[in-house]
Amino acid sequence: MRYALIAILALLALLIIAPPLLGTGWQYALINALIAALFAAAFNLLVGQGGMLSFGHAAYFGVGAFTVIHLMQSVEYGDFPFPTVLLPLAGAAVSLLCGVLAGFFATMRSGVYFALVTLALAELLHSLAPHWDEMFGGEAGLSSMRMPSLGLTFGSTLEVYYLTLAWVVICIGLLYAYTRTPFGRLTLALRDNEQRIRFMGFNAHGTKILVFGISAMFSGVAGSLMAISNETANYSVFSTQVSALVVLHTFVGGSTIFFGPIVGACVLSLFTFVVSGVTHSWMLYQGIIFVLVMLFAPKGIGGVIQAHIEQRHSLPWKRLAAPYALATLAGLMVACATVFVVQSLEIVLSREYAAAVARTGEYAPYTVFGLEWRVFHPLTWLFPLLLLVPGLYMLRRAFARIQTLWDNDESDDDGDIATTPELMEGGR
Amino acid sequence: MEFLIVSTLNGVIYGMLLFMVSAGLTLIFGMMGVLNFAHASFYMLGAYFAYTLSGLFNFWVGLIVAPLLVAIIGMLIERYMLRRVHAHGHAHELLLTFGLVFIFEELIKLFYGDFPVSYQRPDYLNFAIFNLFGTDYPFYRVFIGLVALLMFIVLFVLLTRTRVGMVVRAAERLPDTARALGHNVPMVFLGVFGAGAGLAGLSGAVAGAFFPTNPNMALELGVIVFVVVVVGGLGSLAGSLIASLLIGVFSSFAVGLDWSLASLFGLIGLGDWANSLGGLVTMPLSSISATVPFLLMLIVLLVRPAGLMGSKN
Amino acid sequence: MDTETQSDVLVIDDLRKHFGGLEIMRGVDLTIKHGERHALVGPNGAGKSTLFNLISGEHRPSGGHIYLQGQRISGLKPEQISRRGLTRSFQITNVFSRMSAFENIRIGVMARHGIRFNLYRRIRPMRAINEESHALLRQVRLDHRADSLASDLTYSEQRALEIGMTLATGAEVILLDEPTAGMSRDETAYMVELIRQVTEGKTLMMVEHDMSVVFGLCDRISVLVYGRILATGGPEEIRSNQEVQSAYLGEEEEH
Ligand SMILES: Nc1ncnc2c1ncn2[C@@H]1O[C@H](COP(=O)(O)OP(=O)(O)O)[C@@H](O)[C@H]1O
Ligand SMILES: [Mg+2]
Repeated sequence: MRYALIAILALLALLIIAPPLLGTGWQYALINALIAALFAAAFNLLVGQGGMLSFGHAAYFGVGAFTVIHLMQSVEYGDFPFPTVLLPLAGAAVSLLCGVLAGFFATMRSGVYFALVTLALAELLHSLAPHWDEMFGGEAGLSSMRMPSLGLTFGSTLEVYYLTLAWVVICIGLLYAYTRTPFGRLTLALRDNEQRIRFMGFNAHGTKILVFGISAMFSGVAGSLMAISNETANYSVFSTQVSALVVLHTFVGGSTIFFGPIVGACVLSLFTFVVSGVTHSWMLYQGIIFVLVMLFAPKGIGGVIQAHIEQRHSLPWKRLAAPYALATLAGLMVACATVFVVQSLEIVLSREYAAAVARTGEYAPYTVFGLEWRVFHPLTWLFPLLLLVPGLYMLRRAFARIQTLWDNDESDDDGDIATTPELMEGGR
Repeated sequence: MEFLIVSTLNGVIYGMLLFMVSAGLTLIFGMMGVLNFAHASFYMLGAYFAYTLSGLFNFWVGLIVAPLLVAIIGMLIERYMLRRVHAHGHAHELLLTFGLVFIFEELIKLFYGDFPVSYQRPDYLNFAIFNLFGTDYPFYRVFIGLVALLMFIVLFVLLTRTRVGMVVRAAERLPDTARALGHNVPMVFLGVFGAGAGLAGLSGAVAGAFFPTNPNMALELGVIVFVVVVVGGLGSLAGSLIASLLIGVFSSFAVGLDWSLASLFGLIGLGDWANSLGGLVTMPLSSISATVPFLLMLIVLLVRPAGLMGSKN
Repeated sequence: MDTETQSDVLVIDDLRKHFGGLEIMRGVDLTIKHGERHALVGPNGAGKSTLFNLISGEHRPSGGHIYLQGQRISGLKPEQISRRGLTRSFQITNVFSRMSAFENIRIGVMARHGIRFNLYRRIRPMRAINEESHALLRQVRLDHRADSLASDLTYSEQRALEIGMTLATGAEVILLDEPTAGMSRDETAYMVELIRQVTEGKTLMMVEHDMSVVFGLCDRISVLVYGRILATGGPEEIRSNQEVQSAYLGEEEEH
C-alpha cells in the first residue's frame, strides 16, 4: 500500500514536471491519454464495480462535450460569464442528469438486454445528432474558443494539459474515494448479487441508477475536457467507435482492478499516438491486443500485475526467471513476425505501390524495419516464418512451464477462475 | 401509388436480406447465449471474398465458395476462441467477438484498402425484370429476394423436417437435456455457428454485388441487424423474419417521406405552433429515418424485452 | 384471521399463487407466533420455497394477504419487507461471492443502520458498523475466515455466512430455506446448534427436510402438501397426525 502511494506520487510528479520538456505533439497525446484514462475509470465504475456492461458510454462522454461547447460559445459571445477552469462542472452536471434519466430505463434490464439498451440509446443520439442543427451543429458540429480566465489564457497546449491533468487527477481521486464509501461497497455487492441486496433492504434499482448516473457524470467530465482541448465537437463523439474504445481500454487494462482501466487507457492511447504516426494499421494492432488479452489474460494487464503482486512472496522467482525470459523473447519474435507481415502487406497492397508497379512494370523493393525487401524473394517470406514458427513453439513451452510453476506453488486458486464479472448471466 | 409499390417491393427485399444475416445471429444467441458482435463482419467477409473469387473465376464461383470460406472462419472462431473463453461467461464471449469486429474490419482495409471495391454482378443479370410506372425494376433486386427466400425455405425444412434440425432445436431449448440424451452439443454449436456465419457470408456475396462493398458495411449493417433480432425477440427465427420485413419496409418508406412531428400536430390544428418550436419537432422523417429503428429497439427492450415473437422464459 | 394478537407476528390469510394456469398455492392459512421456531415441512414441489418467495416479496400473491406485526406486507417489494424486519436466506447459497466474509456481513449491518446512499463518508472509520460486523461474524463462528472471499469458503461455511447475513439486517423474523440441505451429519448438528443460538429471542420460520432437526429445534410444525397446509401443531401432534403420516412422514422415514 505504501509502495503504491509512493509510485503514484512519483508518477504524478513526473506528469507535472515532464511535459514542458516535451513537444506539443506529446503534450497533446498526454492530454488524450489522460482523458481516456478518466473515461475508462468512469466507465469501469459501471462495468467493473457495478457489473453492468454498457456499449453506449459515448453518449455521456458526448453530452459532456456538447454541453461545454455550448457554454464556451455563450462565454465567447459574452452572453454568460463562466470561468474556463470550471467548465467541466457544467459537463458533469448535464451528464449526471442524462445518466440518471438513461440509467432509470437501462437498469430496468440486465445482462445482454442492459447492454443493448445502452447501445440503442447511444446509436439514437448518434443518428439524430447530424440532423439536429441547433443542438449539435449538424454534421459539421459546433466550435468555440477557450476564453482566458483566472489569469490563464489557455492559449498554449501546455496550459490545457495542466488543466486536464488537474481535473483528471481530482476525478480519479474521487472515483477511488468512492470505492471506500459504504455506497462503494454496496456497488460491489450489487454486482455480485442483485437479488440478495434487495432482500437485505436495499433498493436495487435506485442503487443501479445512481451508479449509472455517477459513471455518466465522470464520463461527462472526460468529454468536457476533450471539448476544451479540441475547442470543437461534432456528432462523431457519439459514435460506436468512441463507445468501443473505452471498452477496449477497460478490458485490456483489466476491469476487476481499480487502476486496470486507467493503465489500459494510458498504454493504448499512447501506443496509438506512437504507432498511428508510423502505420495505418494501428487499429488492427489494438484489436489483436484486445483479442489476445481476452483469450489469454482474461483479467487484463492489471489482473496479471495484481496476481504477481499478490503472490510475490510465494512465487519461485528464480525458477520463473528463465521461462519468463524465454516467453518475452518468443513473444517479441511472434510480434516481429506479425508486424513484418502486416507492414509488408500495407505497403505492397497500397494504391501507391500498385500504381508504381503499373507505371514501371516492376515490383520495387520496399523497406520494413530499416531493411530492404523484395516481394518475390524467398527470404522475404522465410523471415517471418522463421520468427513465427519457433516463436510460437517457444511460447507454448514457456507458458506450460510458467503454468506448472504457478500451480505448484499456489494452494488453491490461481486467479484464473473468476474473470470478467458475470455481466451477462440472467438477463432482461 | 408508384412510390407505394416500389417502396414496398424494395423494402421487402431489403428485409429479406436483413433476415438472411439475422437468422444466424438469432439462432446462435438462442442456442449458445452468445450475442455475436462479429456477425455482420461475416457478411462483409462474404462480400469481399466473393469479389475476389468473381475476379479470379466467375460470379457464381464467388457466390458459392465465399459463404463456405466464411463458414470455415466461423467454425474456427467458435472452436478455438469462443470455446476457450466459454468458462469465463457470456460477457467475455461477447467482448471477444467485439474485438474480432475490429480485426476483421482492419484486415479488410489492409487487403482491399479503405475505399469501396467494385464488386459487380455479371452483365447478363443486369436487366429490368419489369417496368413499373415508367421505371425499370432491376432483376437483381428480385434475385436477392429469391436467394433469401430459398434460404428461408431450406432453413425451415432443415429445422423442422430433419433429425439434425430436431437436435438443433433440442439443443437450443434444453442444452443439458440434449447432452444427456447423447447428442454431441459442442458439435451442434460448431455447426450452427458455422452455418450462421455461412448464411451471413452468402448474404454478403449476394448483396455486395448490388449495394456498395466497403469496409464500413459490417458496422452499418451490424447495428441494424441488432435492431432486427431484438425487435423480433432474441433467439426467435420467426420473430426475426417479421422484424426484418418490418424494418426493411420502414426504411425504404422513410427515405421518401417528409412527415414530421409538426405535421402530426398540424392534423389537430397546432401546426404553426409546432413549426415555431423547430428542432426535433420539425425534423422530417426522411432525415431521422436512421433513428427510428433504434427508437423501436429501445421501446421493445423496455416494454417487451422478449420481442415480438420471443417466448418469456 | 381477525384474532390477531400481539403474539402473532406473521399472519398468512388464504394465500394463493398461480404461475400461468398452474396453481401452486391454493389458499394457505398460517400464523407464526412471536418468538417461536416454526418448521415448514412437506414433500418436494409442495410449494415451500414459493411460500417463502411470497412472504418475502419475491413474487406477488395472486390472492390472499400477508401481515407482519399486524401490517399488510403482501404486494410490497422485497426491500420494503426487509426494512420492516423480515429477512430470508435462500435454498441455494446466495452470497456476495467476490467479497470477503466480513464484507458480506457488513452489507447487512449497513442495511440495519439505514446506510444506503452514503457517498460522503469512508466506511473504514465507522466503528459501530465494523465492530458489529465482527461480532456477528464471531456469532456465526466465521471470525477466523473474515478476510476470505465468500467463494473460497466451504459449503457449510457459506451456509453459516448466509445466516449471518440474514441476522445482520437486524430482522426480527427470519426465514431460512433448507439451511442444512446437503450437509453431513456433523455439519448438520453444528448448524442446528448455530441456528438455535442465533435465533434466540427472534422468530424463526424454516423449511427443513430432516425430521430429527425439525423435532429437535422447532416449537411448532406446519405441513404443506400440494399448496395447502395439511396440519399445524407441536411435534407430538404432528407425529401422531394420521393424515400427515400417510401424506408425508411415512415416505420420509423410509429413507
Ligand atoms: N417462478 C415459477 N414459475 C413457474 N412455476 C414455478 C415457479 N416457482 C415455482 N414453481 C413451481 O411451483 C412448484 C413448487 O415449487 P417450490 O416452491 O420450489 O417447492 P418446494 O420448495 O416445496 O420443493 C413446483 O412445481 C415448481 O415447478
Ligand atoms: Mg424448495
